[in-house]
Amino acid sequence: MERDTSELFEEFKELTASEFFRRNKQMLGFSGKIRSLTIVFHELITNSLDACEEAGILPEITIELKKLGKEHYLLKHADNGPGIPENYITKVYCQMFAGSKFRNIQSRGQQGLGCSGCVLLSQMTTGQPVKVRSRYKDGETLKGVEMTLKLDVKNNTGIILNKKEFETDRTGSGIEIEFKDVSYSMSEQGAYEYIRRTVIGNPHAKIIFKDPTGNKYTFERATDQIPPLPKEVLPHPKGVTADDIINLCRTSNKKRFKNLLMDSLSRVSSSKVQEVEDATGIDMKKRPKSITWKEAEAVVKQFDQMKFMAPPTNGLKPIGDEQIEKGINEILLPEFSTAITRKPQAYRGGVSFIIEAGIAYGGNAGRLVGNQRKAEIMRFANRVPLTFDQGSCAITEALKSIDWRRYGVRDLDNAPISVFVNIISTNVPYLSTGKQSVAPEPEIVKEIRQATMKIARRLEKYIRTKRAAKNEEMRAKIFEDLVPVVIKQSAILAEKDVPEYDKIMDEVTHKAKIMDMKNRLKQPEIEPMQVKMEQANRFKAEPIRNDEEEVDEE
Amino acid sequence: MIDRKQLALNKLRGLGDEVLEPLLQEEVPNIKIPSRGTGNIIYNEDKRYFELGERKGTRSLGNVKQIKKMAQMMCVGNFCKELVNIQKTATMREMYYVSEGWDVGFDNQQESNNITEDIEVTLGISREDLGLLPEEDGAAVYGDITLRDEDVEFNALRLGKSGYTIPPTVDDVEIVGHDVDRIICVETMGLYHRLVQEHAYEKFNTLIVGLKGQAARATRRFIRRASDELKVPVYICNDGDPWGFHIAMVIISGSAKLAHVNHDLATPDAKFLGVTASDIINYDLPTDKLKDIDVSRLKELSGDPRYRGKFWQTEIKKMLKLGKKAEQQSFSKYGLEYIVDTYLPNKINAIEGENTL
Repeated sequence: MERDTSELFEEFKELTASEFFRRNKQMLGFSGKIRSLTIVFHELITNSLDACEEAGILPEITIELKKLGKEHYLLKHADNGPGIPENYITKVYCQMFAGSKFRNIQSRGQQGLGCSGCVLLSQMTTGQPVKVRSRYKDGETLKGVEMTLKLDVKNNTGIILNKKEFETDRTGSGIEIEFKDVSYSMSEQGAYEYIRRTVIGNPHAKIIFKDPTGNKYTFERATDQIPPLPKEVLPHPKGVTADDIINLCRTSNKKRFKNLLMDSLSRVSSSKVQEVEDATGIDMKKRPKSITWKEAEAVVKQFDQMKFMAPPTNGLKPIGDEQIEKGINEILLPEFSTAITRKPQAYRGGVSFIIEAGIAYGGNAGRLVGNQRKAEIMRFANRVPLTFDQGSCAITEALKSIDWRRYGVRDLDNAPISVFVNIISTNVPYLSTGKQSVAPEPEIVKEIRQATMKIARRLEKYIRTKRAAKNEEMRAKIFEDLVPVVIKQSAILAEKDVPEYDKIMDEVTHKAKIMDMKNRLKQPEIEPMQVKMEQANRFKAEPIRNDEEEVDEE
Repeated sequence: MIDRKQLALNKLRGLGDEVLEPLLQEEVPNIKIPSRGTGNIIYNEDKRYFELGERKGTRSLGNVKQIKKMAQMMCVGNFCKELVNIQKTATMREMYYVSEGWDVGFDNQQESNNITEDIEVTLGISREDLGLLPEEDGAAVYGDITLRDEDVEFNALRLGKSGYTIPPTVDDVEIVGHDVDRIICVETMGLYHRLVQEHAYEKFNTLIVGLKGQAARATRRFIRRASDELKVPVYICNDGDPWGFHIAMVIISGSAKLAHVNHDLATPDAKFLGVTASDIINYDLPTDKLKDIDVSRLKELSGDPRYRGKFWQTEIKKMLKLGKKAEQQSFSKYGLEYIVDTYLPNKINAIEGENTL
């Protein structure tokens, strides 16, 4: 029997953003017990870092994770940021797609789902409300407010269950939030590793973390420099779609299409506009609102065939090679470290990006597996650690394509090495919604290779010098052990006294040569603090390479 | 005997001096060691045995790879000096264990064996003179020879059917007297006992030496001394195959490996009596087919300088052409006594002149 059309459409409902993500929580990255918790850490930490930087505050973040039951945790997060004014609290924590990040700008997160996504996950798994405390400046006075909140999924808003004000002498915000069906792990994908890497990529941040077993980890900041804020960059013509143009036209108050193109896009000059007009026949003096979809399509098609200057890069703010090294040195205490920040490049002709790379060798570099250190790749996008989906990532692909043996690393997998790569861009080309791997665009892969190979050469030089010094030292030890034996035994054999042999000892042990090698190791390029000779014995000795014959034939 | 002991002690002291003296001049000491590489093992046509050439290697105190060996040499030197002084001997294995207490030890026994050989070639004296002995005993000797070992004197006819066993310390044994006209060495103990049972020692007035396969150093030294001191011909009777040939040849011209002591071990005047390829044909012996490994070994021998003589070249070619080999015991085809009654007299007469026996 046929049903009425109106009957069929009774079930047709409008979904709010919150409701949509409630049904599709994996799109927020909440898939898997370990991953879900790592994403929560990511969202909270990212929010704190962004807020602090915008307010010009050196970030200090405290996170405490308590185990309440099996796969059931209470997370307490607090920062020293500017805090959240009372009437924005529900927007930040309970509303999807609220935020300041919908611009063409380099930023850590990009979806505006962050904190409210965490609250959603908490509510879905525990049914419990969250407690938020905010301390903020209202004019000249400091205010403190504590709220107990629930998320109204149907209406994409927050419900305040409880609210009280308190006195405070500082700013900052914090949340207490419960989760079930998540788990804490020390693995490479776990929350601890996420924090460790965050601090390396953000050497100006201090993070204190108490784990469920009661251990307290303090990651000190390696620098007091707050990174400069990225600037918004006008979209480049090579990166826009017809839909973007239509949208620009709708919202613009420009009188002429020509002016709109020149003011809203970068690198579009009047002569370029003329070129578009000549090719498409579209009247560039038209009112933007009268531009049709067809015309927009024609413009985009024409853009694709034209040459433009590379997109402006002044909006991109890399970490900087010095800061990367500081971060690496603070956290990994390596024997040797080096970093590079490359010049901006563009992929797909119109999106600029910067590659930064760093290498740490020895010390706590590398991942501890059993009691052996293995190589680890630390991937970052806009300073944010990427801890999942390593296999398909442009960074992994680029690093695996390098022949590390050429750089003195005989077996990369089993070397005490951390390789750091950060891609900075207004539009990092992620492979999927989870934003955990960078698409292997040829320009990006090539640039990562170039950057890494450049610093790998510095590593090679260090390893070579170190091996030589070590061989020289082991050589000397052999002589120091055996010269007295030979001479004593010879004296017994000849039935004579042991003669003076200090001078011969110095000669055979090549003392001068060893001192020279040690001095060379201590010299920068490489700052002195990074070369910690006293740590040398922590590493497996390289076998002596010896080309000398057992007996020299005459 | 006194001479050999004093010589060893003097040479050992000299080794110590070789290290100490440069030190007094503030020079880095080094020891010259005759090279034992194949390139330096030379067949001396006049002496008819292998000896070491002139090439020497240097082991320097200033070389990281060589200094350990130098230390080991000095330790072994002192150990040997002590042995010689107290008139005792030790096996290589014993020394290897003793070395655990030294300032520098050995990683394995091969290493200590090599160092011992280094000392032998450097000093030009054999390990037996340094008090170091191989594990195994030498051959069995039967016949009218009187020997003295320390204060015991005995005749090798009166020690039972197994005869006298040559000890590793063969140089401490004095040959007091004898009544033999020749010495016959045989490869297997089976043939040795056959010769004893058939009274070959009376019939041929000979010493019978049972080699037990490849002759030990002590056996070779004994044969050499017997040849020198008894001044009678030495014959070797082995299986008719490349392996039998070579057991004989090592007694006659020494081995390449021991080129540095062949001047004490080789007996260049000893003669190969058989079994030859010609014997196989002449006596119509029961045979086995040559295996691939026999053929390639024969070819190897034909290119070896020790087999350069016409006799060997002919016999090797003949055997290769024949494709057959035969054992000593194959003469039993004609009865157990045949080898003593017919074969050996024929061969000896052919060499020493008709109607000798």
